[in-house]
Amino acid sequence: MDIHRNRRFVYVGLLTLVSLVYLIQIFRLQILDNNYEQKAINNALNKIPIYPDRSIIYDRNGKLLVHNIAMYDLIVFPSKAKGIDTAGFCEIMGINPDDYTKYMALAAENSKKRQKNNVFNGSAVFMSNLSKEQYSAIQENLYRFPGFSVEPKTDRLYAVKGGAHMLGYLGEVSKKLLAKDPYYRPGDLIGITGIERTYEEYIRGIKGVKTVWQDRTYTERGEAKDNEFNSPAQAGPDFYSSIDFDLQEFGESLLSNKRGSVVAIEPSTGEILALINKPDYDPNLLVGEARARSFRKLLIDPKKPLYNRAIKGVYPPGSTFKTVMALIGCQEGVLKQNTLHGCSGGYHLGSLTVGCHPHAAPTDLKGSIGISCNAYYCQVFRDIIDNPKYPNVKAGYAALEKHLRSFGLGSKLGVDLPGENNGNVPTIKQLDKRHGKSWKSSMIISLSIGQGEILLTPMQMANCAAIIANKGWFVTPHLVKGIGANKYLPDEFKKRRYTTVGELYYDWIIDGMEMVTKPGGTAVGTGIQDMVVCAKTGTAQNPHGQDHSLYIAFSPRENPKIAIAVIVENGGYGATWAAPIANLMIENYLNRGKEPKRPDMLERIRTSTVN
Amino acid sequence: MSRISSNNEENPVLDTIAVWLYVLLVLIGLISIYSATSEVNQSFQFSLSSVAGRQLIWIGGAVIIILTIAFANVAFIDYFAYGFYAFGILLNLAVLFIGKEISGAKSWFGFGGFGIQPSEFAKVATALAIAKYLGTYGIRFKGTRSVAITMSLFLLPMVIILAQNDTGSALVFLSFFLVLYREGLPGWILLSAVWLVIIAIARIVMEATGISHLWTMGVLLFLASLIVYFGRKNRQLIIATLFVAAASIVFSTAVGFAYTKILKGYQRDRIELVLNLKQDTRNMGYNLEQSRIAIGAGQFVGRGFLKGTQTKMGFVPEQHTDFIFCTIGEEWGFLGVTAFFAIYFGLLYRLIILAERQSTNFGRVLGYGVVCVLFFHVAINIGMTIGIVPVIGIPLPFVSFGGSSLWAFTLLLFIFLKVDEKRR
Repeated sequence: MDIHRNRRFVYVGLLTLVSLVYLIQIFRLQILDNNYEQKAINNALNKIPIYPDRSIIYDRNGKLLVHNIAMYDLIVFPSKAKGIDTAGFCEIMGINPDDYTKYMALAAENSKKRQKNNVFNGSAVFMSNLSKEQYSAIQENLYRFPGFSVEPKTDRLYAVKGGAHMLGYLGEVSKKLLAKDPYYRPGDLIGITGIERTYEEYIRGIKGVKTVWQDRTYTERGEAKDNEFNSPAQAGPDFYSSIDFDLQEFGESLLSNKRGSVVAIEPSTGEILALINKPDYDPNLLVGEARARSFRKLLIDPKKPLYNRAIKGVYPPGSTFKTVMALIGCQEGVLKQNTLHGCSGGYHLGSLTVGCHPHAAPTDLKGSIGISCNAYYCQVFRDIIDNPKYPNVKAGYAALEKHLRSFGLGSKLGVDLPGENNGNVPTIKQLDKRHGKSWKSSMIISLSIGQGEILLTPMQMANCAAIIANKGWFVTPHLVKGIGANKYLPDEFKKRRYTTVGELYYDWIIDGMEMVTKPGGTAVGTGIQDMVVCAKTGTAQNPHGQDHSLYIAFSPRENPKIAIAVIVENGGYGATWAAPIANLMIENYLNRGKEPKRPDMLERIRTSTVN
Repeated sequence: MSRISSNNEENPVLDTIAVWLYVLLVLIGLISIYSATSEVNQSFQFSLSSVAGRQLIWIGGAVIIILTIAFANVAFIDYFAYGFYAFGILLNLAVLFIGKEISGAKSWFGFGGFGIQPSEFAKVATALAIAKYLGTYGIRFKGTRSVAITMSLFLLPMVIILAQNDTGSALVFLSFFLVLYREGLPGWILLSAVWLVIIAIARIVMEATGISHLWTMGVLLFLASLIVYFGRKNRQLIIATLFVAAASIVFSTAVGFAYTKILKGYQRDRIELVLNLKQDTRNMGYNLEQSRIAIGAGQFVGRGFLKGTQTKMGFVPEQHTDFIFCTIGEEWGFLGVTAFFAIYFGLLYRLIILAERQSTNFGRVLGYGVVCVLFFHVAINIGMTIGIVPVIGIPLPFVSFGGSSLWAFTLLLFIFLKVDEKRR
């Protein structure tokens, strides 16, 4: 009767088929594909960064230099910020509607990018570094603008007005870095130059993360506690700089209304005690909402206040270079303490004349430094590279070049600041190009007195002073004294780097340097009573006008505490500006707390303008 | 295959296995609704005004329905089958005029804070009417008249519900075609229908993706020649094959023409979206992806009760109604899903067994009606959450939130169980 009874199996079969096909598909989703759980987490968890305080920066004596102040970013979830009363918003924030459109478009783009990268969800910076007025205005009115929120972060607050080039400044992280380093979000502040840049990875601290549940509309649905993503923010460790800020400020006051640079180094450690450039700027200009505006102004200022001459500027070292030349002459065996060379108003060779100022001649090694005889060093230079122990002049020059490079010249010293210049020690190739293949010592003789192709940064000059103070070695100059409670110091700032000149010869040269501030020396009259300064003046001719005034020095002679180089651009004789500045600074550093012995000189330098 | 208790005329009882499976499904539904509508990691909170609380009230109503049926007289059900049907049709017509419009569909009667969807009850009424008609003495499912009447019985409510703009609910009535197969509807009609759908989809995919439709013909001719080659001794088979091939090609061409020349751009877009030929991460495509993420995130053992963020945070749409299966998949994982399938398909298998043991055509047709309607819902609903079937908004019976659907399916199931209890 029921002829279709067997059709029940078709139903059973159909049910079985469908349930199996579905289970297989579910198996694929749940077991074979492992991406879905992560996608679900990325959907529902919003990781909100907690900004740490940047390191507090102190000087070597524990003086506070830089600390932090709370700042606020205005954050937006672009997809949630719909139907905003734009006009009201713009009025409150003091921006115009075009800015609103621009900011929103940028935020939307960043938001999309971040969602794509699964780094953070949804939110993006709309405006960073709100002014106090903007912050209080928007805080009261946030309820009117769905999708907007305010996130705290910190900005720099400077306890001092100087030290700009060594401290560096912060700026918004660049697009390039954003693409490379997922640690940063658009609008983050990051060290752009100075210590802030070099030690960014220590100073920035470690961002924390607060995770919150968020639904499809980016509405927060409570804090997500106890998960692997949550972490507290860790402030950057205290940063102790090697700088002696009292000395720094003192030096800055001396160099005011002049163009130039001062670098002071503690010879035994390589610690930089002062790093001064003029013109400079007040670091307080580059914080908060005024940052971008001030920066643009400084950037186009024809006086170049942002320019860090101490490590980027290159100058002919002039006569200060004679100290190095003398050391190499001794090492090469062509110069002894009692070597005498005459001077008849200069050095004459055929049609070549290198002039010299009038002084008693002949001089020995010590006298040649004290009085700074040009002819003496022309002779020493020729003796070095025309030395018969070398087959030709180029081999002689190669020996000279090797010695020079051992003084850290012609290449970056490795200072812990970005953008250091190499300076220049001419290579044989360079000389070939300049003077033709078959040049002679006479053609490059101006190198002997620190002119010509030789160029040094003020940092390299100060380092030469430190090398002489140490009698043959130096530690790479650096601005870090110690980071954090353990006073961490990178290994490269613990190593001694030796020159190729033997220790004995340094004493011979120092004997000469000690004479410089004494009667008969080139810087007589700039010395300070009861203070032994070993120094060398320099007056560097340059194509930019009046000669540069140069001076390198260290003190005291035994266990030197400070080595210094001073350059006053277009300042004329070394003894005029550079020598008094350096000597006053040495006095300030060594006789801290005592009355200055040369108030007249101090006053004159402070109040003078050099153009 | 019979159970002692239910076979015992002295001590009649509803089929225990089916009842227990039903209870399990309703409880799973309640738990899932609670979870889908709670906050993440929230401690246990329950109130009657919450979504889960309202479902509990609906369940209370379902218990009253079950008790009423349990003490009702089967004869009453049989006697008033057409009356129910007429009433159901009237209600569905009425809703067209005085109903509330909810998300584009005019299919709800509003009573203050809650609503009733008459289309859900039309399924029950239609199942009863068809059973009644085919169960009538002397009626055989043969001949134009009986076939026409049977089909009109479910095509009429289907058309009315289509007019309510509730396509999903309307499509459910197609499941009665499956019932008719058991009653003698030739298999080739169903197979042809399936075949035509395949041909149509294939053609649309090719038109949309720019693959030459010559492939369709090539594949068809290749299949045909295979059949002809292996069945070359059977002349009837050869003729049938050639006819099917020719008809398919004609149909495919017609579909292609209709698709490119008659349909408008936005209509094509909609079809292509459903067929997954178009990426739309914002709307429908986004919902589908979120639904797959929810289930996929469950992995083997699930993310745990109340820990399904996909559903709770609103990434999955309609998380407590049409997409309730996502909560099961996300929180209980493959293990939970397998158990759930065992329960659900267990119920369907059990109902086939019950339907087959009916001594009357009325009972059997009603039984298959229940099986096919439930199966259609399960296949479409779960199929859409896992991305096998296009999104059609119909609930998962007994599990999804909603009073109308819970009450209607309870009514449907328990009327049949009551009929089964009283079978002779």
